[in-house]
Amino acid sequence: MMLTPLQKRAARKDRNKQQLDLNLVSLIDIFTILIFFLLSSASEVETLPSFKAVKLPESTADTHPKETIVVVISGAEIIVDGRKVADVADVLRADGDVIAPLKAELELLGKRQVIRQENLAQKAAVTIMGDKDIPYRLLRKVMVTSARANFTDVSFAVRQRFDV
Amino acid sequence: MRVRRLRKEVAALEVTAFINLIVVLVPFLLSTAVFTRLAVMDLTLPAQSNTKLEQLKGNDLKLEIVIRPEALEVGDRIGGLIQRIEKKDSHHDVKTLSALMQQIKQRFPDTKTATVLSEPDTSYEVLVQVMDAVRAGRSANGGTKLVRVELFPDVSVGDAPVLRGKANAS
Repeated sequence: MMLTPLQKRAARKDRNKQQLDLNLVSLIDIFTILIFFLLSSASEVETLPSFKAVKLPESTADTHPKETIVVVISGAEIIVDGRKVADVADVLRADGDVIAPLKAELELLGKRQVIRQENLAQKAAVTIMGDKDIPYRLLRKVMVTSARANFTDVSFAVRQRFDV
Repeated sequence: MRVRRLRKEVAALEVTAFINLIVVLVPFLLSTAVFTRLAVMDLTLPAQSNTKLEQLKGNDLKLEIVIRPEALEVGDRIGGLIQRIEKKDSHHDVKTLSALMQQIKQRFPDTKTATVLSEPDTSYEVLVQVMDAVRAGRSANGGTKLVRVELFPDVSVGDAPVLRGKANAS
């Protein structure tokens, strides 16, 4: 078989080449597996916001969070849907069960019109994300306030724990 | 005569573009990944069960778990105290509570509701732990494998009755 000069040159170059062979197969394997794992875990929609200041308690509950109004009770302040409404210290000092600014905010949010019928059940739902160190006294005030503001379906956000 | 060798090309894959993509994607996904999964615990507010007052019969169980600073008190609203679980190693003994809940569930298989009553200074974490033990437990009934069993999933939360005196409590 005759080779054209160009092919000869290519073959010669190929023979004389110092072989620098980087074996990347296992690296690519790992990366590919990682990508699939991360993509599948990222595709789960996060409905609850995450706050660094709030350490949720752990629980074995496995109900998925619904998309509701979120009341965050951190060690220092009460936040409704990303807006700060009250200071925890003030609330603890107050005597009554109802937290007035929280009630006003919740009532404002409760006035929102529900367009789709299937979302009607979630109108009265509220999710409480409480720091694990808050006292029951504070939690009770928040629950009473949300009940007064016609949010009767209360659920607690927890960190899921898997134990054997 | 010259030996004619088979000119065998080394198979080479051009993967540089693929690696570039992966190297960018992996840190991005790692930074956005959330490794703690969140869940919610539904509460049954006591106000909703007000209309069922006529169902209150003698053999009906109205389970109440009172969280005291030094113990957990499990009782029936009608029958009185069932068991008092003292604190162990300055933690509330949730394991004993879970075992007790499973015993009670075997005696009253139809009951689904329970009430957790806590004092004003009870921390939220303890409340959630107790609710956890009341809602579901793990038992190895029959087999060697632990199975998650539902105990009293409809948990409501309330205030603990105020102790009238220390003598009354013990």
